[in-house]
Amino acid sequence: MQPRAFKYRYIGLIAALFISLAADVDIASANELNCLMCHKHRGLSRIDENGEFRLFYINAELFNSGPHRRNRCQDCHTDIDRIPHKPAEKVSCTQQCHISEPSDDKKFSHKNVEQTIANSVHSKFDKDGKLKPYPDDYPTCKDCHDQPLYRPVSVFKGIAKHGVSERSISRCKSCHDSGNFAEDFYEHVTTRLHKTRFSKEIVQVCAKCHEDPALRKRHKLDDVITSYKETFHGKMIELGSEKTPDCIDCHVVVGENNHLIEAKTSPSSAIHENNVANTCRSSDCHKNASEQLASFQTHVTYDREKYPMQFYMLIGFKALMAIVLYFFLTLIFFELMRRLFPRFSFFKDNKPHHKHNVSPSSTDDDTEGK
Amino acid sequence: MSKYEPIVYKDGKRYFYRFSAHQRLQHVVLFSSVLILALTGFPLRHAEEAWAKPLYNFMGGTEYAPMIHRAAGTVLLALFVYHTIYWMVKFYQNHIVKLKQQNQLTVRNFIREFFSQEMIPNKKDLVDIIHLWKYLFYFTNRPPRHERMSWREKFDYFAPYWGIPILGPAGVALWWRDELSHVVPGFVLNAAYIMHTDEALLAVLFLFFVHWYNVHYAPEKFPAAKVWLTGYLTEDEMIHEHYADYVKVMIAAGLEEEIKPQHFAGERYQW
Repeated sequence: MQPRAFKYRYIGLIAALFISLAADVDIASANELNCLMCHKHRGLSRIDENGEFRLFYINAELFNSGPHRRNRCQDCHTDIDRIPHKPAEKVSCTQQCHISEPSDDKKFSHKNVEQTIANSVHSKFDKDGKLKPYPDDYPTCKDCHDQPLYRPVSVFKGIAKHGVSERSISRCKSCHDSGNFAEDFYEHVTTRLHKTRFSKEIVQVCAKCHEDPALRKRHKLDDVITSYKETFHGKMIELGSEKTPDCIDCHVVVGENNHLIEAKTSPSSAIHENNVANTCRSSDCHKNASEQLASFQTHVTYDREKYPMQFYMLIGFKALMAIVLYFFLTLIFFELMRRLFPRFSFFKDNKPHHKHNVSPSSTDDDTEGK
Repeated sequence: MSKYEPIVYKDGKRYFYRFSAHQRLQHVVLFSSVLILALTGFPLRHAEEAWAKPLYNFMGGTEYAPMIHRAAGTVLLALFVYHTIYWMVKFYQNHIVKLKQQNQLTVRNFIREFFSQEMIPNKKDLVDIIHLWKYLFYFTNRPPRHERMSWREKFDYFAPYWGIPILGPAGVALWWRDELSHVVPGFVLNAAYIMHTDEALLAVLFLFFVHWYNVHYAPEKFPAAKVWLTGYLTEDEMIHEHYADYVKVMIAAGLEEEIKPQHFAGERYQW
């Protein structure tokens, strides 16, 4: 750690001295080859060989708000060693990077996530190691993840807030005072004390594939995104609550790696019929509920075969609504129309209103001329 | 309870008694709680609409709006129970006591008295509905002559009486879902969810289109009828809406000679 930290500062100093002020000093650590000299420009883009528009702009501020800020560009883009460079190859997230993991000083890698994905429903391969149909539909790292950002949390006097707490970090810094070690670790840890991403974003991530009708048809999947958004859980998330569950909260067993999403049929899955009750009752969500709560149907599609109760109830209520509203709205319409010609009528009823009074027509005649 | 004059005069005009202060207060509690319930419920029902989030945040956001919704729901349910007791007491005082004094309290008489209450739908209402359509299609020049409660008012009255028994228990079930799961299986909540949200939509659409047409949008009412505040109808309103009752009240007050002929909204009043 120490020699590199020193080097970072050293390069930062050089960057500050020799590069124009536009180059952000903070990003110097990631910017060993001075990549930002070009990539800081917002318009840096081209049409690639496939005719797709590619934007190569790096927002230094955003990059510096994420966990990758301690990596140099070439830690991931290993094929780039000079400027100007040829089109870079795709980054493999599972490669070893030059950062060492502080608990055991080994080179860091996301390789074990690959293993977890292989055990999950999102693996390209089935249990026997054979390729599943439509293997290209299965997600890889970057289908779900983009450049992550830290979401640090601070707690003071029992009130949790977003952001870095100066009070807390000063405690770390009393020992760990070199470089940005304390800041980095503070954000690293506190981001993981809650959800790294907003729940609404998680739903969007899953929706990328699960909302695609063609993909759903290929894999015979229900429209779980729409049905989730129909639930109170989905609606509260939509309105900005962070207290109700998103996809991952129910589909990953508590304490498991978030990447281990399993099929409903897998006995160890969070949503297997034997485990649903415990999933609902975990994490203080429905902790007072009985096991019977598990028969609640979350992803209701109002399909007549699959959800007959909901289907017929919905039809019933819609019919009732249609009858009541059409009846009264029609009535109101004709009543307003009747006002256009209040005295016209095909048949006149000229009987007196009651024994003490005159007939309506005679009154009409009286008032007509006025 | 204080006695209300059936006809009062103010600035030389006649006003006809409709609702006591007690009843008007119940109506205020009813519509306040329903409005709060709608304002805290519908942003959630339509969470994906652009207006939902700002309105929900205005009503307390995801933290407080559910609490407000539950509090207002509790008030509404309490009012429902209160009102049911209220009319039962009224029924006892106005109908049963009389029967008891005459020593004629039989099952048959009880049922007859029950259906003679002013808010209970009867044959005359059916006749009036058919009569109204005849009138609307220009087959007669005479609008229906309603008694003290017209069939529309009866429908308005019974709308909460069918809405609250559906909405209320479903809302309570969704509120106490964890505790309820010890008694009934979870799919009951699926049913409760549909009952609560769809019946709420019907209730709100009915109130905002039909009921508000009757008391707000209709040309002679616009911008708002005043009977919910004053408890009294003007003579014109009385003639439009309750001609049979108007004649009855006028005769009872000894004003037979001053009874005005029937006219209908849209006619220019010449008196």
